[in-house]
Amino acid sequence: MADALTQLGFASWLSVLIASIIKVTLILVGGSVGMMFLTWYERRAISYMQDRRGPNRVGPQGLLQPISEAIKTMTKEDATPREADRIVHFLAPVVMLGATVLSFAVIPWGRMFPVDLNAAVLFVIATGGLHSIGMMMAGWGSNNKFALLGGMRGVAQLISYEIPQVMAIIPVVLMTGSMSLQKIVEAQNDFGGLGWFVFSPVGLLGFALFFTASLAEGERTPFDIPEADSEIIAGYMTEYSGMKFAVFYLSNYMSNLAVCFITATLYLGGGNGPGVDALGGFAGGLLSLIYFLLKSFALFFIMVLIRATVPRLRVDQLMGFAWKFLLPLVLVNILSASFWVALLRWDQQWPQLTEWFGAPSTADATNWGRLAIAVVLTLLINAGAVALIMRLTNRNVQKHLYTTDEELALGLS
Amino acid sequence: MNPIAIGVFIVIALLTLGSGIMVVTVRNIIHSALWLIASFIGVAALYLLMEAEFLAVVQILVYAGAVSILVLFAIMLTRQVTGEGVRVVFERWWVALLIALGLFGVIVPTLWQHGSTWEEASKLAQVGPAPVEGTAAAGLQVATATEIGRSFMGEYLLPFEVISILLLMALIGAIVIAYEERTRRRRVLTLAEELALKKRGIVEPRDAEGAVVALDSEQA
Amino acid sequence: MVGSVPLVWVLTLAAGLFCIGLFGALSRRNIVGMLMGIELMLNSVNINLVAFWRYLQPTGTAGLVFAIFTIAVAAAEVAVGLAMVIAIYRARLTINADEIDTLKG
Repeated sequence: MADALTQLGFASWLSVLIASIIKVTLILVGGSVGMMFLTWYERRAISYMQDRRGPNRVGPQGLLQPISEAIKTMTKEDATPREADRIVHFLAPVVMLGATVLSFAVIPWGRMFPVDLNAAVLFVIATGGLHSIGMMMAGWGSNNKFALLGGMRGVAQLISYEIPQVMAIIPVVLMTGSMSLQKIVEAQNDFGGLGWFVFSPVGLLGFALFFTASLAEGERTPFDIPEADSEIIAGYMTEYSGMKFAVFYLSNYMSNLAVCFITATLYLGGGNGPGVDALGGFAGGLLSLIYFLLKSFALFFIMVLIRATVPRLRVDQLMGFAWKFLLPLVLVNILSASFWVALLRWDQQWPQLTEWFGAPSTADATNWGRLAIAVVLTLLINAGAVALIMRLTNRNVQKHLYTTDEELALGLS
Repeated sequence: MNPIAIGVFIVIALLTLGSGIMVVTVRNIIHSALWLIASFIGVAALYLLMEAEFLAVVQILVYAGAVSILVLFAIMLTRQVTGEGVRVVFERWWVALLIALGLFGVIVPTLWQHGSTWEEASKLAQVGPAPVEGTAAAGLQVATATEIGRSFMGEYLLPFEVISILLLMALIGAIVIAYEERTRRRRVLTLAEELALKKRGIVEPRDAEGAVVALDSEQA
Repeated sequence: MVGSVPLVWVLTLAAGLFCIGLFGALSRRNIVGMLMGIELMLNSVNINLVAFWRYLQPTGTAGLVFAIFTIAVAAAEVAVGLAMVIAIYRARLTINADEIDTLKG
């Protein structure tokens, strides 16, 4: 874009500046319009799951409902508690929204990449980690016990789930050999645009783990403990009203949108799909954008489905789930990812592999033998690990759920 | 000379140093921790300016996202939110100020004396713009995350392994040190219990060794 | 950046941050405050490492690798240090360094 502006006769630094401003505006508008659509989409979808109709009066099918809600929150009183730490209280929603918007800097829209950062994958996680600061500030700055409780819970949850989230990405980085989102999307373009990572055993488990950990990062049900309204009112948002509350809401939904986008990019091939390469040019880009949005909103539909079906976890169950269930599985997944990479790619590091199974696949010829062995091996490892850990978890849960009469009598439980 | 780069550098320097000064001077320790986060983010921006993208992201992830949160947690768990009238610095803080200023006064002139030699050396080490993909290499490229990974697995393999063992030991050590046996754990009292104890004049029941045994009430 | 901002400026910034951190570490009564000063000092050292890498040896990785090691060590230090702070607070109900003056725990 900057080059086109330079050709129009702008100075080079001015054209860079204008191009950046246009990009930033597009991202911000896209993100917030996407968020507005998302609130409507979630409310409609969950209404049908609960056998009611949801918002359907403002505009066609209730599509303009978010706008009326926005006007309503903007006109409400913006109250600050008298004993609150005013500056921290004011800055908390700003930090939250800022962190979310930062993550949109690297998220690709189909095949359009705003910024192709070298460590883009890590950047998204890092901006997610900044949320915990906003939460802590909101919880502490409100000078309210429920807010502080919610903030502390939220931060503990974010930090715990960041670990499986980061480690679930490692298999993708191993298979691609890069942390740039552009390279990751390119690596999933085999088999006529259908070589998505989710179709390999490693990617499938990674997808499930990453998506689950991301649900906790975005405080979606069943991991919405920081804002469990029936226990601690609204958590760290208790003392917020009016526009500040709306900013929290906005950042929450935008980060959910970002999670869907990132999951679609990492595991579902981003904008790749049949026909994108064949069309090429502008039409191909448009088709890739359509594919990408379809994938992302399908993922968001899964989020809504989970919200409608699964009850909220307890705090100890939440932590146990992160450390005793997700973390071991993620480690096993990294192991099988390294087997996968070794079997599909290695020819120099261990020459016997080539001797036994033939040369690794190239762009022209796929080595089906190597692929089949890799699929079977990683499938065995992953399925075995999942079965084992589920069994252990079930046994543990049952031990806690059912106490025998003798134990009760002895006071052992 | 690129005026934008200089301007950005000055803004980042002001952010980093200014929030650094706030960290050490603000009375409220929680505000101080929040300023610390601002300072960390300034340093990350500086890394970005110096084209160390990976390190900038790691800085945000580890320092701004984890270390500062750990500090905030520690402050809240020890509940030492200092109010008015309590001394937050040692009586002889001016000695520390003298030492710090003296050190600064020694370092900076030395740096500026050697500035010209470094300027020459850095001109020799300049790298060209990143090569455009598909063309022949147009110049050397700044080391990226890939090269860092390679050197971790090659040249620096032993330090890498040692650091991982260190992290594991720190993990175990932190748990062992901060772990509290269930029997010694203080129960959070109900308001009625707290009032009853206060009525009897007991604020902090301690055992023979002076350790707190049963209460979790405000420090006298 | 390299062409316009001299190396000395970056190093001066790092020196300033180091001295600020030193002052904080020496003057604060609160142990957590001291730890924050130490964090500032470690950060300034990292700035130095990265600056020397970028200006003098940009194609190598030594500076970056060292900076990452420093970050890892600092993380370990903070974890253990704060655990000790919490343990001390449990025993003494204070985390002011001048009030912790007996060896008996």
